[in-house]
Amino acid sequence: MSSIGYTNDAPPTVKTAVAYALSALGARWCDYAATGAAPRFRATPAALLEKARWVEAFATLKKEHGFDLLLDHSAVDYPDRTPRFTVVAVVENSTTHDVLLLKTRVADGEACPSLTPLFRSADWAERETYDMFGIPFEGHPELTRIYMPQDYDGWPLRKDFPMEGHLKFRD
Amino acid sequence: MADSAATADVVSATGSTEGGFLLSTLQSMVNWCRKNSVWPLPLGLSCCGIEFMATACSRYDMSRFGMEVARFSPRQADLLLVAGTLTYKMAQVMTRLYDQMAEPRWVIAMGACASSGGMFRSYPVVQGIDEFIPVDFYIPGCPPRPDAVLNCLLQLQKKIERDRSYRLALDAGDAPVAKGGLVAVSGRGEMAAPALAQAADRYVEGARPKAGVETGTPPVRQR
Ligand code: SF4
Repeated sequence: MSSIGYTNDAPPTVKTAVAYALSALGARWCDYAATGAAPRFRATPAALLEKARWVEAFATLKKEHGFDLLLDHSAVDYPDRTPRFTVVAVVENSTTHDVLLLKTRVADGEACPSLTPLFRSADWAERETYDMFGIPFEGHPELTRIYMPQDYDGWPLRKDFPMEGHLKFRD
Repeated sequence: MADSAATADVVSATGSTEGGFLLSTLQSMVNWCRKNSVWPLPLGLSCCGIEFMATACSRYDMSRFGMEVARFSPRQADLLLVAGTLTYKMAQVMTRLYDQMAEPRWVIAMGACASSGGMFRSYPVVQGIDEFIPVDFYIPGCPPRPDAVLNCLLQLQKKIERDRSYRLALDAGDAPVAKGGLVAVSGRGEMAAPALAQAADRYVEGARPKAGVETGTPPVRQR
């Protein structure tokens, strides 16, 4: 897997104030140019954050820079990486329509801080991420499975989950 | 008595149709009533449900066979028609509906999804509703044409006509338990406490054998 490079310099599309605020929180920006991807592909500026700074970064973005719309919240499973999961969230400034993608990494069984107190739309998205990947979200008001039955065993979107589903329910 | 099979059992005692009376067995009378008034509970879960609606509508017209009264209460239905893709979450609902239906009850798995999971070989989809409840008929197709559904319903009528369980239920020496229905408690008819049906209760003659169950002697169906 060719991984993305990280730099301390924000891409030129990011506003200076935003770039400064995130860099102050220890964000490292994804350098898609290093992967040789076409410029239009993955145009969203993306930054990697420490888990401890996750909520703080979104609070700053929302309160001071107008990123008040949580577009998406999910996770990716990289079984060969040491903090196994990458939690991804996309926010938009609903006035200027700037979009930012932030991510952080959590290990298996480790909790990720919840964004639900900041964005109501994170509620179901985090339940879905929990349901599919088994990542608990700390501070979520009601973290239960959202798609699968409550007594379902396993986390279906993890890479080590069998493609055809497990046969626990079957004869 | 327009029905040929039922009239085969019926004898006109006087030779005249007016003012006379007919002799028959209770079994064939009951079967005749049952098969011409099958009330389906359509469990339309996805695209097959739309095809079932076509079957019920005027072009194909299920009501020609006395089946137009689709009931959305399991307590009033005789036939559970599972049309569509069943997920594990919905399977709990389906088994509850099935357990609420009064005996006698029949089940049709309509379409590839209900019969075998169809093209959805993945984590949320039940690979055939017979993982949970006994099935009388499987209709192939994705979706099955209304003709195929009608054919299946006619086959179901034939199956009901062949039914001989009524006699067994009459000699109720040892308190027959109809799961989720009436129970004879020391001679009085009373509602049974809701009892979870066992695997043996759900066995139906001719059902697809299940993996892991020894073939040979079928489980005894409790009456
Ligand atoms: S069998 Fe085909 S038509 Fe029927 S529910 Fe499945 S996918 Fe839809």
